[in-house]
Amino acid sequence: MSLLAKEPAHGYELRQRLAKALGPAGGALNPGQVYVTLSRLERAGLVQAVEVAQPSHPDKKVYELTASGRERVGRWLADVTWPKVAPVEFHLKLVVAAATGLADPVALVDSQRLELLRQLHQLQALAAAEPADSDGALLLEGASLRLQADVRWLEGCERRWVERGSR
Amino acid sequence: MSTAGAVVEAQGLVRRYLADGSPIRAVDGVDLVVEAGETVSVMGPSGCGKSTLLHLLGGLERPDAGELRLGGRRVDGLSETAWAIFRRRSVGFVFQAFHLVDELTAVENVELPALLVGAPRRDARRRAMDLLERLAVAGRAGQLPHRLSGGERQRVAVARALVNQPLVVLADEPTGNLDSRATGDILKLFAELRRAGQALLIVTHDARVASTADRLLRMRDGAIVAQTRLGADASAAGILAGLADLGGEG
Amino acid sequence: MRSLRLAVRLGLGNLRRRPAQGLLLLLALTIATGVLGVAASLYGSADAPWDRVWRATKGFHVSLGVYHPPDEPGDRAFVRELRRRAARLATAPGVVGAGGPWAHLYGSIAVAGGEEDLTAELRDPGPYQVDQPLVTSGRWLGQGGGVVLESGLAATLQAGPGDTVTIQGRPFPVRGVASTVSRGRFPLSRPAQVWVTPETARRLRDLGMTEEGFALQLRLADPDDAAGFVAAHRSLEASDPSSSVISYLQTWRQRRAESHADIDILAGTLFAAGGLIAILTVATAAVLIAGRMATQVRQVGTLKAVGVTPRLIVLVLLVEHLAIAAVATVLGLGIGRLLAPRVAETSVTVLGRPEPPPLTWGRVAIVATVAGTVVLLGTIRPALRGIRQSTLRSLAGGPRPPRRPGRLGRLAAGLGLPLPAVLGLRSGWRRPGRLLVNAAGLLLGVAMIVVALALRDSLRLLSLRPSEPGHAASDAAVAVLYDQIRAVIFATAALLLVLATINAIIVATFAARDAARNHAVLRAVGATPRQTVTALVVSQLGACAIAVVVGIPLGLGLWRLMEGGDLPEAGVSTPALVLLAAAVPVAFAAIVSVPARLLARQPVAPRLTYE
Repeated sequence: MSLLAKEPAHGYELRQRLAKALGPAGGALNPGQVYVTLSRLERAGLVQAVEVAQPSHPDKKVYELTASGRERVGRWLADVTWPKVAPVEFHLKLVVAAATGLADPVALVDSQRLELLRQLHQLQALAAAEPADSDGALLLEGASLRLQADVRWLEGCERRWVERGSR
Repeated sequence: MSTAGAVVEAQGLVRRYLADGSPIRAVDGVDLVVEAGETVSVMGPSGCGKSTLLHLLGGLERPDAGELRLGGRRVDGLSETAWAIFRRRSVGFVFQAFHLVDELTAVENVELPALLVGAPRRDARRRAMDLLERLAVAGRAGQLPHRLSGGERQRVAVARALVNQPLVVLADEPTGNLDSRATGDILKLFAELRRAGQALLIVTHDARVASTADRLLRMRDGAIVAQTRLGADASAAGILAGLADLGGEG
Repeated sequence: MRSLRLAVRLGLGNLRRRPAQGLLLLLALTIATGVLGVAASLYGSADAPWDRVWRATKGFHVSLGVYHPPDEPGDRAFVRELRRRAARLATAPGVVGAGGPWAHLYGSIAVAGGEEDLTAELRDPGPYQVDQPLVTSGRWLGQGGGVVLESGLAATLQAGPGDTVTIQGRPFPVRGVASTVSRGRFPLSRPAQVWVTPETARRLRDLGMTEEGFALQLRLADPDDAAGFVAAHRSLEASDPSSSVISYLQTWRQRRAESHADIDILAGTLFAAGGLIAILTVATAAVLIAGRMATQVRQVGTLKAVGVTPRLIVLVLLVEHLAIAAVATVLGLGIGRLLAPRVAETSVTVLGRPEPPPLTWGRVAIVATVAGTVVLLGTIRPALRGIRQSTLRSLAGGPRPPRRPGRLGRLAAGLGLPLPAVLGLRSGWRRPGRLLVNAAGLLLGVAMIVVALALRDSLRLLSLRPSEPGHAASDAAVAVLYDQIRAVIFATAALLLVLATINAIIVATFAARDAARNHAVLRAVGATPRQTVTALVVSQLGACAIAVVVGIPLGLGLWRLMEGGDLPEAGVSTPALVLLAAAVPVAFAAIVSVPARLLARQPVAPRLTYE
């Protein structure tokens, strides 16, 4: 929806704008999902479709924001909620494993870390292919830094659970 | 016995220190192989001995036990002078603190190993300038190190490490003193080196840096506790899907 | 005042924490102050014994001496006139006592296998109002004939009462030995002197001794006005250029000042030596203090960051180092007081046990000023630099960043010198201040070697010179004096060399420490230990080159100032100079390579691990 704020566009253009903003991640977008989302937004009254006549093609549906839609975008932009910061689920896994004895926490940490490193490896490969200043590169860097932070936390976990184990 | 194509082969390397009277094994029986063209990273917490291992591989410290071969040649018993002469041609170092000679300009720093092996001055200068260009710091060639930024200094250091086309480049926390942007530049650089077939061993505690390697070794308390191959298996799709999940109305 | 107390506390605390460098500075300073202290306690140490003899012999305040060669008939009238005027002088206003006029006979006495000029002074039996010689052994003149020897002559002949001396070829018994202040002591003061009775004098005249002068000694009511009295009777000194009669008036102070030439010369030489050593010590102090500063630069930065004024920082520095200078002064003066009498005892002119003169504030001030100046000069540059340096850089520690490689660096590279040499030269020019300081130290050593070589040559020529007839013994005594001076100069040269060597080692050690990181990097890149040692030695050679190029001409110039007088002209031969110019860098390189090698043996890896 925010991408419509700049100017009205039809579905295909929308997908293109999204792809540009997301970089490589954009390639993984499900094409159909865009249209599904657009219809939901239309039902909610945030977006309205306008038929535009084209000379040699069938009519295009161009979507544009309604007033309430614009208001919604404004609020979204101003919102400072940050997505999930701590990996709660994994933390619980470790606690449960230790309590129940169903798995060794240190081994869990090990394999999770390996997986994260593999993901990092892929990200590096993708980042290498991106031009340095593109928006996509920035997004990839964000992802890398998060993974890096997660690995560091995992190392802390390892230290803690090794300590606990040796007691 | 040496494996064909192996650039670095270490067997049972041990390095002991005396700390407050009691002996510590900084490196405790490490076996290690780096193939030609391979990038290997060694990861571990501080004090696990990874820097010492790197020093041993490059001859900056002498092992108390074990064997070391570089390019098929047995080197663990070499004298200081013999090591220095061997190291000029065969090993390139990249340090966390860059360690450029502070009274030589950037290009003079880079051509230093070439001059040491006896290359004619003009040759050495040309090779140095070529490398600096490839690493995009040619414009700073005539500057003294203290006028260069951290990222520039490290690139000069990498150029210096490459000038004699060494068997292996040994990097000790190469991004430790760099900001995020400079780190990215160096990582790109390492990726290029990998593509060019340069063997590279990186010691680091930074996951980003470690994950660029083909093979990852984990060290703890002086020993290698795990070895994995990264890359190739998992596809990029999973991550990208995660990134592209935008949720509701955004 | 609170800031002063804080400065004192910080300064003394610093000294306690790092005593080694402070002690080294103290040692270097004490060598200089010690030499100066000996000079200060030596000069005038013969005055007290002289005064004692002067008082005991009713010494003169003004003396008149007349000398006339015997063959000039025209002079005899003049001499008679002088004698009359002398007799009148004895009753002049202001005179409370007179001795003489006593006639002088001139001849020769056998000394050490040769003939030495001799004056025999005719004395009536006495007692005398002025100049009653102090008998030290035997008896004064009286019945029974015999001569009384002046104490210096007796010491040279090693003769005493009962021995015989040969005058004019004939033996004469020695009746006694006596001291006087009316003339200097033999052999440094010529001619030799004996006292004789009129009977003995008749015999001497028969043997060929001729009357060639007389002496008159006066005591004044106002001794302090002796100079005025002399000025008032200046006419007695008027000499007709055509006549060969010499008459002169002298005050007791003048005589005392002239009586101890050997001590004076020795003290002067020691003073000059002390000065030279002090100059060299500035170089040593500068190096030590700069090294101290480098390790204390963090403290300077911390102080500034906490808001302490630059004034206080300078105060702390000064307190520390002036304290060392004060201790060195006290030690030096103490050493002087202990050693000076021992040195003075070797003098041939001292009349009894030498006593170091009381330490006047003047003398203390001289030594203290020298010590203080050395310290101040050594402290100024590092202090100013520490204050002006930005606080951040002080806190970060480490030397200033290098300058762009100059023309010299490019020249060296262009010349195709081996890589370690080029690196060494570049490194050496990086700290021109330290280079100059080191050069200054070496320079003085080199200059002193040149002076010592020239002096040795000159003294050799002197010893080869045949002595004039009649001066055998006194020439020998002068030669002994010159030997002493030579010993002092050689010792000074050796000392300066030792200090310069210590200097060179300290500078090289600091330079090696400064270069440690760079050299570790060089080793990591593949330079052998020998190459890094070479680079370090070459970096120090610049100072050596300056020292040779400036030091040799300086030494020659100093020698030109010193020579003349009795010292025959000598130069230093060119081959010797060339040898010196070649030997100094070689020796220097050898010395400097020791700390370089030691430091190169340290492990490389730790220097590369930490920043």
